Amino acid sequence: MALFLTIGPLLLLAQQQVLGLDGKVTDPFKKDPGKVVVLIFVRTDCPISNRYAPLIEQMSGKYVKQAHFYLVFPDKAESAKSIQTYLEEYHYSLQALRDPSHALVAKSGVKVTPEAAVYDAKRNLVYHGRFDNLYEEFGKTRRAATTHELADAIDAASRGSRPATESAAGIGCFIADVK
Amino acid sequence: MKLRLNLIAEVAGICCAAALAAGGGLSRAQARTKSLDVRPPVTFNRDIAPIVFHSCTLCHRPGEAAPFSLLNYRDAKSHARQIAAITQSRAMPPWLPEPGPYQFADQMRLSSEQIELIAKWVEQGAVEGDAADLVHQPKFAQGWQLGEPDLVIKADKPYQLPASGTDQYWNFIFRTPAKKTRWLRAMEIRPGDKRLVHHANVLVDRMESARRQEKTEGAGFAGMEIKIESEAFDPDSHFLFWKPGTVPYSEPDGMALRLDAGTDLVLNIHLQPSGKPESIQPTLGLYFTDRPATQLPMLLQLENDRKLDIPAGAKNFVVEDEFTMPEDVMLLAIYPHAHYVGKDLEAFAKFPEGTKRSLIHIPNWNLNWQAVYRYAEPVQLPAGTVVSMHYVYDNSEDNVLNPNDPPKRVVGGNSSKDEMAHLWLQVLPVKQRGETGDLRTVLQEAMARHNVEKNSADFEAHYNLAAMLQRRGELSEALKQYEEALRLRPEDATVNNAFGAANMAAGRMEEAVRYFEAALRGRPEYFDAHYNLGMALALRNDFARAADEFATAVRLNPQDANAEANLGGALAAMEKWKEAKTHLERALVLDPNHSLARENLEEVKRHVGSGSY
Repeated sequence: MALFLTIGPLLLLAQQQVLGLDGKVTDPFKKDPGKVVVLIFVRTDCPISNRYAPLIEQMSGKYVKQAHFYLVFPDKAESAKSIQTYLEEYHYSLQALRDPSHALVAKSGVKVTPEAAVYDAKRNLVYHGRFDNLYEEFGKTRRAATTHELADAIDAASRGSRPATESAAGIGCFIADVK
Repeated sequence: MKLRLNLIAEVAGICCAAALAAGGGLSRAQARTKSLDVRPPVTFNRDIAPIVFHSCTLCHRPGEAAPFSLLNYRDAKSHARQIAAITQSRAMPPWLPEPGPYQFADQMRLSSEQIELIAKWVEQGAVEGDAADLVHQPKFAQGWQLGEPDLVIKADKPYQLPASGTDQYWNFIFRTPAKKTRWLRAMEIRPGDKRLVHHANVLVDRMESARRQEKTEGAGFAGMEIKIESEAFDPDSHFLFWKPGTVPYSEPDGMALRLDAGTDLVLNIHLQPSGKPESIQPTLGLYFTDRPATQLPMLLQLENDRKLDIPAGAKNFVVEDEFTMPEDVMLLAIYPHAHYVGKDLEAFAKFPEGTKRSLIHIPNWNLNWQAVYRYAEPVQLPAGTVVSMHYVYDNSEDNVLNPNDPPKRVVGGNSSKDEMAHLWLQVLPVKQRGETGDLRTVLQEAMARHNVEKNSADFEAHYNLAAMLQRRGELSEALKQYEEALRLRPEDATVNNAFGAANMAAGRMEEAVRYFEAALRGRPEYFDAHYNLGMALALRNDFARAADEFATAVRLNPQDANAEANLGGALAAMEKWKEAKTHLERALVLDPNHSLARENLEEVKRHVGSGSY
């Protein structure tokens, strides 16, 4: 009985690690105290994720003083090598994290890729969900987005306030499919 | 001296243009429900694989249009919820028409039962099942789907697709290297990276009219909707269409497409940025047959773009058109077309006995998944059948695809922010006993007349009606219609040339010369107009100017035997025997059966032989 009590939590800790592409355990919330943390959940085989690459790269540059962006890959089948290739292909300069145990997924409440989670300077989750409303439903894409939930959330979090919208469901590839 | 000129003028013609695992305690009610459900759980191997292999794998495999493969259980499991959601919404497989009285070939629509089965599979935990239940994976031909093509042509230059932005429309011009007329039985369109291409259309350009839109030769040009001119009665006859999952189609015997020397194939392609810069350089695989066409289908277009003036916010704006078949035809395929404000598109056939049936109904139109739909069996449309289109447009903010935010007034036009109300039909006229000739002319004339009645400002309708009337020998009626077309576009080179030719046929040489000259002001390098002007001048005995015009025509098209023959004839008329001989001999090299050139050459040789030059 004692054995179970000891091993259980240890296993849990080992499984819930977030990894950098170098294989080292990484905590995105420990860096840059005082800055907003933006987690961008993507899959390399998700076309909607891919189409947002230029926008995300551009936003990370725009908000470089206020926010630290991370790309989070929740599919445990995606290796560090394949992710590196993907980053190069899509001209990403963001730091990439692997979340094979879905620790960040669970913490952030995201359901699909692509979705974002925005944490304020105190590391409170202030927004999770779609980047904007470019995709309204499968197969229907607006010519241009008319709402910009992610940008609004970063702006609000940078000011220390809560965004008007705290969550908005994204359209894309279900993360639970890659558990 | 016996000299004659070839009196066949180059007469212009047609402007065509879930997851509940089984574990855990069950309440008494749940247990009771479970004990009542004696059906075995849904498994991938037994229940889902047949659906996936039939309806998804064609595109969801390496090298094809879909973003990920669906070849096995692992693939399907890693997208299980997505598959359930996207089939529930009917966004996949992409198949827009509702089931109706007529079946389409290669139908991809899933049944409601299949969609429910997928949902149930996911709800039950997306289990794999017994390996013995698994059906065989489909086998797909590697490489070219119809075997090695007879000719492969690649776009001269690639198009650079930006990483982001709105959808792009690009046109590649393939200059076919055919040196003689060939008969095309099939074409495989390889648009490049298929993940980037929503659809592609090939248009046959018999007079290099698209080249005029290229800024750099071979680079292609931008544009969503393009128009191809034709100057002979040779209406568009085949849908040469590609969308993801298209399996190349071989035309039935006797329905091959004619491809002449010098014909361009224009690939109009709809591309979607992927998130990274891409380079697109499409390829066409051409398959020929020795059997010339014996059955001539035709593409008929119902349309009413002029009625497209849709106020901002209008949710149910209706546009209609209808056309009565002047002769018996078989409807082979149908292609409804609207842009982003289109919502509900339907076409009907009202048969002479009064029955009305839906030919196609797309209740949730999406331009991105437009397609040509071929009927599994041809639909017989007897003479007197009224074919109609009833299109509904949603220009409100409820329409996600609305290109304007906030909505703006939308009118008919060629750009993606404009709208269209088109319905294309591929029909094959049914020959009645004793009927001879090209039955498509009856359809073309009826369609042109319908369009003139619908819209007196329809330039192409007047032009096409004139050409058909002239073809039937109704010259005075043809002249009236050409005049109407010219009134609408006074500087249009094509109509000036055609009007000139009609005047020449009516014996009005002064007018003919004037209109040919007007055509050349509009398009100085216009072969037909130079040729025709040469004819008119020669008929006025102005051989010096005629020879100049024929010489220009020869420079523009050195392979044209008639131009060479007539140049020789005009020079001979001026008693320039030696030069005349050179050109007449060249005409005979180009066409050894050119009787006029041979006749005139004999005459010229007598003079050359007598040393009188």
